[in-house]
Amino acid sequence: MRSLIWMRLAAGASLAAGVLAAADVHKPKAPHPAIGDPEAIEAGRQLFTSGCAGCHGLTGEGGRGPKLRDSGMWHSLDDEALFKIIKFGIPNTEMPGSHQPDEKVWQTTAFVKALGSPAIEAPPPGDIRHGEEIFWGKGGCGGCHGLRGKGGKAGPDLANVGGMRSAGVIRESIVDPDADATEAWRKVSLTLHDGSVREGLLRNRNNFSVQIQDAKGEIHLALASQIKSITLAKSSPMPGDYGKRLTRKELDDLVAFLSRQSVRPAESVLASAGR
Amino acid sequence: MRVHRTLALALAICAAAGAQVKDEDLRAGPGANWLTYAGSYSGQRHSPLRQITVANAGSLVPKWTYHIPKANGLRTSPIVYQGVMYVTDSNTMYALDARTGRQIWEYRDARAKKSGVNRGAAILGDKVYFVTADVHLVALDRRTGAVLWQTKYGDIDKGLFSTAAPLIAKDKVIVGVAGGDTGMRGYVAAISAHTGEERWRTYTIPAKGEPGSETWSDLHDWGGAATWLSGTFDPELNLLYWPTGNPWPDFYGGNRAGDNLYSCSVLALDLDTGKMKWYFQFTPHDTHDWDAQAWPVLVDLPYQGKPRKLMLYGNRNGFYYVLDRTNGQFLHATQLVDNVDWAAGIDAKGRPVLVPGKDPTPGGTRACPGVMGATNWPSPSFNPATGLLYIMTLEQCDVYTSSAKEPEPAKGFSGGGVGRSKEEPGQYVLRALEPTTGKRVWEYRMNGPVTAWPGTVSTAGGVIFSADDDGHLLALDARNGKVLWRYQLGEVIAASPITYAVDGKQYVSIASATAIWSFGLFEAQPPMSPPPVKVVR
Repeated sequence: MRSLIWMRLAAGASLAAGVLAAADVHKPKAPHPAIGDPEAIEAGRQLFTSGCAGCHGLTGEGGRGPKLRDSGMWHSLDDEALFKIIKFGIPNTEMPGSHQPDEKVWQTTAFVKALGSPAIEAPPPGDIRHGEEIFWGKGGCGGCHGLRGKGGKAGPDLANVGGMRSAGVIRESIVDPDADATEAWRKVSLTLHDGSVREGLLRNRNNFSVQIQDAKGEIHLALASQIKSITLAKSSPMPGDYGKRLTRKELDDLVAFLSRQSVRPAESVLASAGR
Repeated sequence: MRVHRTLALALAICAAAGAQVKDEDLRAGPGANWLTYAGSYSGQRHSPLRQITVANAGSLVPKWTYHIPKANGLRTSPIVYQGVMYVTDSNTMYALDARTGRQIWEYRDARAKKSGVNRGAAILGDKVYFVTADVHLVALDRRTGAVLWQTKYGDIDKGLFSTAAPLIAKDKVIVGVAGGDTGMRGYVAAISAHTGEERWRTYTIPAKGEPGSETWSDLHDWGGAATWLSGTFDPELNLLYWPTGNPWPDFYGGNRAGDNLYSCSVLALDLDTGKMKWYFQFTPHDTHDWDAQAWPVLVDLPYQGKPRKLMLYGNRNGFYYVLDRTNGQFLHATQLVDNVDWAAGIDAKGRPVLVPGKDPTPGGTRACPGVMGATNWPSPSFNPATGLLYIMTLEQCDVYTSSAKEPEPAKGFSGGGVGRSKEEPGQYVLRALEPTTGKRVWEYRMNGPVTAWPGTVSTAGGVIFSADDDGHLLALDARNGKVLWRYQLGEVIAASPITYAVDGKQYVSIASATAIWSFGLFEAQPPMSPPPVKVVR
């Protein structure tokens, strides 16, 4: 008798089945009201500053304790598990429990969650309209950064920044543009063997080729064999003094505005309700 | 080629300054650029590039490899415009330097509600487009990767997801939907390339009361007929040709008596309105999951002494068809593969002559072709010089079982299943066919685990590129199928190759399971030092 390998369907069907099964498993349950609530997050920030920042850093950048923010780790945190860790600590480690009332622990949880969540899911409080005015006006952000086809092309597009980056990372990028220590978007000038010069912003480079983009957004690609020399700026072209140029409130409002720039609406109940 | 070389040299440094991809560029078909999934509206997947020839293909070498993080089973077909390559993976698009494979930008929609296969990008003006797995069309600035707009055109709660490369036709982006194996209602939608607004939507299953609805029982809202592979376009006739998938439940037809229009068909749709001008159903009342998802190749050739606008169609059901694409008239059919036993042939009207006893049963029924079909999504190609169609085929049979369980949509139910004998794993065969008769001119039989599904690309250099079932990329002589060159990519290849040129140099590119590869003719590397870098404040 023939031996049979019983399979699910061929390619398309098995893919569909797998995806659907996964969708069933991951049906979101309603989060605790503090999660994504700007006021709870702000209260949590204050609790974090006094109780957690000594080890984890003021913005979760890590230190004696682990780093708590990672903009690429969306969906990585389980609210309940995070709550228990903050309340009761992790046995046999240096992580103590806070043993505070549940309400305060949830506020801290909301802040820690916001550190790693896209800003749209945990938007900080602030005057969004005023933030928009700062973006296009006093801040001059729109001269280099784009939003859905408007604005400049000389810096990263921000139409989905709230869907990709946490509010903390957005704030840090404004006050310290070189915090990520990347070469990307720095000003670069290529002198070619034919004597011509190409200027723009660096998108990528290695010893064998350079990819740049000019202020109009056009791409220029060059092989090392075409390049006589490269001049590269040491730091980001973005001004490093926004922490002084803008008042605290202006900065808060700008971060509040950028946190809401997302191609997809928030999943968090409170965030999507416009809080 | 002279024109292409001049163009390419002019672009050597300034790859994409100020240029816009126009409708006429898409109409012109491939040259240095490869602008659509199939290279051209006709779906011929034939390039006029001739730097790589039968004589020198043996000196092809890899130029670069780009590993896509976390990729697994890539099916993307790259597009290339002025030295920039655009490739996709699940909810992600990358722009790469087509000479070096270096990333220029990446766009990732990390918050999409699904993940899955993506077949590629489309380009028009200064925008590139792709679909997310959860049925959004995304428009990006092709230079910067900035997201310009995103349009939701389907609901995952209705069993839909999305995989196909969009097709640009004039000012519209044409998109389809997947999900036909677990219950959904297929459609083709046209979305404004400029604004993202939906212009029209044509369902592949008629609503109750509409003509054709009598070919279903009560499954009008969930009967499948998905549109998960993009189609082709005839600008003169202003007709889109779009393939449709299987009816649902795949392996049990008791709940859907009738032909189940317009499943397992090709639809001719008016580009301006979406109105169906004609349809041709290859497999009425399919019970073997034989979607018609294959590429409708458009050629103008003499047929029985008269010039005709033809459509060439290798079908998953085991037959090869020739249709008149002006009106859908059936002209000819012949067996595409040797292993066909569910139908004795195709009658004069294009309908299969059924062999009794080949439907799935609870105990299992052996039938040929197998569930993956005699061919599938991998792209065929047509070379005007040889006059041959090159098509990947699969010789395989399966044991099909059915379940009469009440169909429940979007729950993973497909009405049965499929088993395969270890002694009968099947075999891929790349075949060259005489297009109007389907007569085989040559074939290349593969050896491997029967997991591949590579497509083909044809070139004016007389070389066909495809891949073996064992991970080899192949260059074959278009005239006789002799292997001119091979390179082991080390993993499954289930995508279709393309060819393009930058700086007058021809490249061949393909996706393997986890990476994008690009090949060109060997050139000695002159001794070089990296250019000096001066870092300034």
